[in-house]
Amino acid sequence: MPQLKEIEHTADRAFLVRGKDLNELFTQAAQALLQFEGRKPYGKGSLSREAEVEVEGFDRETLLVNWLNEILYLQEAREETYTGAEILEISDQHLKARLKGQPGDRRMRLIKAVTFHGLRIKETTKGIEATVIVDV
Amino acid sequence: MDREIKSSDLVRVAPEVWEVPSSFRSDMRVAARLYADEVLLEAALTDRSIEQLINTSTLPGIVSYAIAMPDIHQGYGFPIGGVIATLLPEGVISPGGVGYDINCGVRVLASEASVDEVQPFLDELSRALYRNCPSGVGVRGEIKLNDTELDRILESGSGWALEQGYARPEDLSRTEQAGTILGGNPTLVSRRARDRGRGQIGTLGAGNHFIEVDRVSHVYGEKAGKLLGLFVGQIAVQIHCGSRGLGHQVCEEYVSRFQKTVHDYGIQLPDRELVCAPFNSPEGQEYFSAMNCAANFAFANRQVLAHRIRQSFEQVLGNKVPNRDLHQIYDVAHNMAKVEDHCIDGTSLRVCVHRKGATRAFGPGSPGLSAEFSEIGQPVLIPGSMGTESYILLGTAGSMEKTFGSTCHGAGRVMSRARAKKSVGGEQLREELRSRGIVVRAGSMSGLAEETPAAYKDVARVVDVVESAGIGRKLARLEPIAVIKG
Repeated sequence: MPQLKEIEHTADRAFLVRGKDLNELFTQAAQALLQFEGRKPYGKGSLSREAEVEVEGFDRETLLVNWLNEILYLQEAREETYTGAEILEISDQHLKARLKGQPGDRRMRLIKAVTFHGLRIKETTKGIEATVIVDV
Repeated sequence: MDREIKSSDLVRVAPEVWEVPSSFRSDMRVAARLYADEVLLEAALTDRSIEQLINTSTLPGIVSYAIAMPDIHQGYGFPIGGVIATLLPEGVISPGGVGYDINCGVRVLASEASVDEVQPFLDELSRALYRNCPSGVGVRGEIKLNDTELDRILESGSGWALEQGYARPEDLSRTEQAGTILGGNPTLVSRRARDRGRGQIGTLGAGNHFIEVDRVSHVYGEKAGKLLGLFVGQIAVQIHCGSRGLGHQVCEEYVSRFQKTVHDYGIQLPDRELVCAPFNSPEGQEYFSAMNCAANFAFANRQVLAHRIRQSFEQVLGNKVPNRDLHQIYDVAHNMAKVEDHCIDGTSLRVCVHRKGATRAFGPGSPGLSAEFSEIGQPVLIPGSMGTESYILLGTAGSMEKTFGSTCHGAGRVMSRARAKKSVGGEQLREELRSRGIVVRAGSMSGLAEETPAAYKDVARVVDVVESAGIGRKLARLEPIAVIKG
């Protein structure tokens, strides 16, 4: 099944992500975010960067928003652009993850923040899904 | 999700006012009111903006009505174009009711020079503005701030800019709340928010933010126009931007934290983005303080940009165009929460007014206005969509009576960004605008396409509704001649 689908939204952007479990859902959500931002191409010999992050949240939805906002924060504060995300450990209130990317802020599109609007991680017959709306 | 809202669910209570009664949904605490004509009502019914407006009517402490302006469109949590007031001290404050771009707003500067004098240098001027006013995603400015300087900005906003030589005293007196919201505690702005904002003062950012060079094409009120130094044919410049990453971080930290706070206070809400805290609770006070600091950052940001624009005018037009100097018309916020006194059912009450994509529009004689505007009312700046006209309005007695001293903030979107990009290419749009005599400089052609005028409502219609409803009156119309975007 497709793991990422854009949903129509008048002013901002919304995407539906799916996964067989929390790990896959959170990985897909991070990939969706990075895909939305896009990035300018790198020249040859660009150095790679890695960041290990730990995020906490009041519940699964808060953890998801905090995780995605952590990526936005790190890119802006460290001036790095991430291309991949791997969840190393995850529970309903805590996750540990590794981000991979490149130095320099090379994002094409600004996402100001990830919102809680209408957010609910729902169980489906094939796993879990969530619709995430971001402020652009 | 609740059922789809239809036009038959709204009752027309005045020629430009439609009401969803509080009986519509059991969790509504007050009725919801939309300012619109039939066309704008239909536009509002095409997305979930009225449902979002109804959701805001459930916030604890809300008084009178949940109000939407004619430029309403779907946002997240609150609709864009939403205004609510909560009764203090027990009413709530909601970070989502301000939004991530705290004190996003508009500034207008005007020159004594005419368009005819500046036109020969317009290409060069737009290049200088693009160069001197950094724009785009993750862009950094020239000013590097240490923590002491950043604290000073968070405490005093435009006051810091004045100390540093980026402002003139008269700029501050023509800025909402003099560009300085007192009482914010910088220690409540997190390390992370500081990290994001530290290099961003004097930068435009991306999205729908812009700098626009305009021609004043009409002045509606002679006396007020004269007071503000407005005349037909003159050059004006608009700046639209906010508190950048610092504001985004402040908002996101409190929206996240308040997910638990609402449980602690037993507050039930239809949408998690509406999370809030009682205004006088420790959590509510901390957010209010941090938000005010971010608002000061935004005032300082627009002030430094104004300084860069003046420098650009000097660089390009120096010795060529006399009277090129730019004086400030006004600076307004359109994403803010403020403590104000309003007359509700004949009694003056202290409330927290949330304006999310709505502008303060204080009428003549309102407390809080500088003496200069006491007689005419507060200037209100309404940017149109890219390539269309913009307006300067004045606040009225009607806006004080009906909408907590508030009015619209722009044209309002009707088309998603994805559909906008499918409808026109960035290069094609730039050429179309050029053929109409509008120079465009943009960092991203795809970002430009998302802002196509076709994606927005007709700003003239929005402003006409505002004027007919008595919640603002037209002072001047501006037509674009150059647009600078991130």
